[in-house]
Amino acid sequence: MIKVSQKVLPFLLVAMVLVIWEVAARSGLWSRLLFPSLVSVAYEFGKFVTNPASLHEAWVSLYRALGGFTLAAVVGIFVGMLMGRSKLVAGLLDPLFSGTYAVPKLALFPIFIFVFGIGSLSKVALVFLECLYPVVIMSYHGARSVNRVLLWSAQNMGASRGETLRRVVIPATAPFIFAGFRVAVPVAMIVVVITEMVASADGLGYQVIYALSSLRTDRMLAVVIVIAALGYALDKAVVLARDRLIYWEKLDAYYV
Amino acid sequence: MGLARAGFFLSLLLLWQLLSLRGLPAYVLSPLEILRHFGEALGSAELYEHAAASLARSLPGFAIGTFFGALLGLAAGTARWFDRLFSPAVFVSYPVPKIVMLPIFMLWFGIGDLSKILIIALACFYPVFINAYYGVKATPAILVWSALNMGAGRGAIFRRVVLPSAAPMIFAGMRVSLALSFIVMFAAEMINARSGLGHLIREAENSLRFDLMYVSLLAVAILGFAGDRLVRFAQRRLLAWQEQPA
Repeated sequence: MIKVSQKVLPFLLVAMVLVIWEVAARSGLWSRLLFPSLVSVAYEFGKFVTNPASLHEAWVSLYRALGGFTLAAVVGIFVGMLMGRSKLVAGLLDPLFSGTYAVPKLALFPIFIFVFGIGSLSKVALVFLECLYPVVIMSYHGARSVNRVLLWSAQNMGASRGETLRRVVIPATAPFIFAGFRVAVPVAMIVVVITEMVASADGLGYQVIYALSSLRTDRMLAVVIVIAALGYALDKAVVLARDRLIYWEKLDAYYV
Repeated sequence: MGLARAGFFLSLLLLWQLLSLRGLPAYVLSPLEILRHFGEALGSAELYEHAAASLARSLPGFAIGTFFGALLGLAAGTARWFDRLFSPAVFVSYPVPKIVMLPIFMLWFGIGDLSKILIIALACFYPVFINAYYGVKATPAILVWSALNMGAGRGAIFRRVVLPSAAPMIFAGMRVSLALSFIVMFAAEMINARSGLGHLIREAENSLRFDLMYVSLLAVAILGFAGDRLVRFAQRRLLAWQEQPA
């Protein structure tokens, strides 16, 4: 009895919501525009994932998100670890990052459009900027809290600076870096979708707005499902990479 | 150190100002120009009206989202059946960008403030829920055992042990939520609104009023910064017994 409820309960809520939705859609009380039937949403979803042109839109969004994220990861790890290992750099950059942390960088987007154009570059630049913060803050935090005894032991055993960095500092910081990645990846998706909704002629965010303005709620929901699946898959990819690479420690930070 | 830091920032600003003397593109204003335009905007009613409209969306959204996040997060952390029923749905939808729900919310709740407040609430819900959940789970079992041993009831244990131990995590979640509330507010206003700072910056962009663009940018930055300081201040006052989390 307990076993059954353990397996069923997680799906119960989702199933209930879906059933209520379908009943509401079929009851005819609301317009199809507000509650499109799940069947038509599923049909539109099928059409989306089998249409090469639609898949290209997904790819456009994906490469903007991953491009900005990758840049932020490379720069962020470097800057964050430098801050963690050098008091001078930390003193100069920490106020900059903690002071502007709560400022919505999205407000820079209109200026970015003028500087980088309305194409992919302005979006990648904004994704880079938003993803930089979690990566820098987490790698700074990680590099700063390397166990001092381990550093002393390494030096005592004659490790050079490079060796200490490679064998002690980086392995100790890596779990933090991945925790930062897990925060940054959803942020990348959020920023891409928002910027595409605000100013774009391609990408998934634009498809959502386009479907809405052509009053195709079922198609819009299908695109929303694609975005949701992408966000979920990217998060799972980070977790998978982490579990393969950082097998010695698990660290989760849902907040930074 | 403080001197070096101040010097570093001043030289950055000076460099920017000097570059503007040599002639920058029209969309990059010098720091002094931005400051002058901001001073002018502070003297007019327009900026206050838009800022008030923005806050009237972000603050209720933040309040609703954090309230339900904390409530349901604490419930999921404490009651096992509720955890099994509710948490999987939250964790699966956590990495999904919540802003994509805005068009659907606009259909359901209209294009006015309600849909924006609810989308902000939805975005603010997640960090607080997850932090409250893990905050409860991370309560040291030994404290609960001690309380049980000393004859505390379930209610007393929740109030005196679990809640204080989860509170710092909840505050950390609220800090994230506050930053998120400003992002989502700004995004929602840029996508569809007739007032607010996000609308102002779009209007400025469309009419190439670069001065207005920087004014609204600075206003959002100040609001975000001030809100963050406020949450941290509240945390220090309310959780004075706690070591401050990094």
